[in-house]
Amino acid sequence: MLSVESLSFRYPGSSEAVLQEVTLDIPDHGIFGLLGPNGAGKTTLISILAGQLHGATGRVAIGGEPLDTVRRRRPHCLGLVPQECAFYPMLTGMENLRFFGGVQGLRGARLKQRVEHVAGFARIEGVLKRRAGELSGGLKRRLNLAIGLITEPRMLLLDEPTVGVDPQSRAFLLDSIRSLAGTGRIIIYTSHYMEEVQALCDRVAIIDGGRVLVSGTLAELLRDGSGSMRLRLRAPLPDALAADWRTRYALRADGAAEYQLRVPAAMAVAQVIEAAQAAGCEPIAIDYGRRDLEQLFMQLTNRSLRD
Amino acid sequence: MGRLLALWNKEWIALARDVHGLAALFVMPAAFIVIMSLALSDAFKDEAGRPAEFAVLAADGPERAARLAQKLEGDGFRAVPAPANESAARAGVRQGKPALALLVPRDFERGLRVPPDRTNPAQALTLLVDPALPPAQLAVFQHRVLGTVLGLRLAAAIPIPGVLDDAGAFDLKRAATLSVEAVGNPRAGRPSSVQQNVPAWLIFGMFFVVMPISSLFIVERREGTLARLASQQVPFSLLLLGKVVPYFLVNLGQAALMLLAGRTLVPWLGGEELALPARWDLLAAVTASASLAAIGWGLLVAACARTMEQATVIGGVGNILAAAIGGIMVPRFVMADRLQTWVDLSPMAWALDGFHAVMLRQGAAADVLVPCLKLLSLAAALFAATLWAHHRRRAVIRA
Repeated sequence: MLSVESLSFRYPGSSEAVLQEVTLDIPDHGIFGLLGPNGAGKTTLISILAGQLHGATGRVAIGGEPLDTVRRRRPHCLGLVPQECAFYPMLTGMENLRFFGGVQGLRGARLKQRVEHVAGFARIEGVLKRRAGELSGGLKRRLNLAIGLITEPRMLLLDEPTVGVDPQSRAFLLDSIRSLAGTGRIIIYTSHYMEEVQALCDRVAIIDGGRVLVSGTLAELLRDGSGSMRLRLRAPLPDALAADWRTRYALRADGAAEYQLRVPAAMAVAQVIEAAQAAGCEPIAIDYGRRDLEQLFMQLTNRSLRD
Repeated sequence: MGRLLALWNKEWIALARDVHGLAALFVMPAAFIVIMSLALSDAFKDEAGRPAEFAVLAADGPERAARLAQKLEGDGFRAVPAPANESAARAGVRQGKPALALLVPRDFERGLRVPPDRTNPAQALTLLVDPALPPAQLAVFQHRVLGTVLGLRLAAAIPIPGVLDDAGAFDLKRAATLSVEAVGNPRAGRPSSVQQNVPAWLIFGMFFVVMPISSLFIVERREGTLARLASQQVPFSLLLLGKVVPYFLVNLGQAALMLLAGRTLVPWLGGEELALPARWDLLAAVTASASLAAIGWGLLVAACARTMEQATVIGGVGNILAAAIGGIMVPRFVMADRLQTWVDLSPMAWALDGFHAVMLRQGAAADVLVPCLKLLSLAAALFAATLWAHHRRRAVIRA
């Protein structure tokens, strides 16, 4: 388990903290998603965990042992897949993999084996002899991922690894990352794509303005206890009924015959449906007690993730 | 060691695929050597009109030396302050500063007043000469010395009654002897065009490693590769070492190729053949010192520049300025006196002094010591400044 306790950070010369009292518990199984809009502090948090930024206050520990101590003892326990394609464009894919393996102490048969393994994993065996700078965007992202995995790290930090790739490559990358989520490995995945996090992660923290707004399992976060209800009807509600529901259920029109309501008591859901049917507005779709991460973010911040 | 090998290998591959960088490192200095050696070959042949510096060291003290120097000065010869002793005079002449040193024995002027005989032999003067001085200038100075001595002898003889009636008693021809001693390699003569241009443009080319070093470094920083390496616990000092060794070897390769160009290409095109040094170990020492200074400069530019454009401007313009004031583009002895005081500010001039000491004057270890120490001190300062610049940046990001 990776424990982040009261982590705060501000860049030198800046009066504003980029991270404020961030506290997270990240298990060593599954995939932990860090979701937030651009500028929320996701990359800063990843950079601190990766040892690229220092000067943060707070505590970061793995299994109770400070992260710095663990990394001193096992320097290559961490793999980073940054937003940028952080490799050498003038080197071939093979040369890049061999370099990043070699610079982390892999040699001989072990290096060869790891290069073959990660190239196979990322399905880039066929392009290993091409210069990295000449690869397509999707293949570059795969190479970027393969480099992050070359030392078989115990902790893998993926910082928006699908930025700028085509849907096909994104699907492949997400499948590949999902397959890494075995026990004994900490995987942190940052994104501002709600759909990716929702499709990939077991636990999620939503971060904004350097603060963790909410954190928990995906199921917990998607469960909506606020009584939020989405209703799509065959015809618009009559004015009288709509006025009544505005008072009772905080009705809000979301389209011609689509509505959002707040029905705190589950018992009342049936009454709502019956009243709509009686008014000749047969419900086509009902969504009660569930929300997506976008809605959760909106509930928490009154903003969209893409704002 | 395995990590370092990986870094070296990466640097080699990156450099080998940088066609423009290789052209700047190897083709450009070779082209300059050929073009400038041929273009300036005639200009370097006629140097007799250039003023030569001389010093007088008199055993009777600095006042007597200054008086004699005053008499010798003029017509293309300029007196400089007397050296502290004979060894200082020899050391100076070995470096061509001054080109001539006249050693005057004790009681020289008093001896001129008495007729030479068995107990009073002719006054023995010694003239230390930089072998790089043109023979015509040496001959002129010898005649000036002997003319001055004769003048002193005559001035001493005229007041003696009856002396002019007996020329044999006061033999003017036997007033003094002047022995000339070349300090440095007696084979070395005036630097030819090729002897000036090969080391000069080699140094210029060596300092151009600033371009490939900084461009790759900036790519590494921009693409996030340095940050990734930092996250993999690769120390910055190891990254620097990973760059120093390949470029050191590149500089050695440049030196070998430029010497080869001076030996083969220039004579093949009708120029003079480059004379090789007697002490290859000293040539290696000067080359290594210049290389470390050049690499240090490249690393500092790489660490400070934020963009490729900045690196190009700082590195390229810095090199050109250093070459302009350092006697690379315009030889030091052609420069106006006022500018000559600026020459020693340029590290390229230190390197050129070292190469000339080895290749032109065929000097000893003592002759290259000062240039090498200057270059190595600069290299150490530049490496320290690089680490400091990185540390400042690391206050934010360890990359």
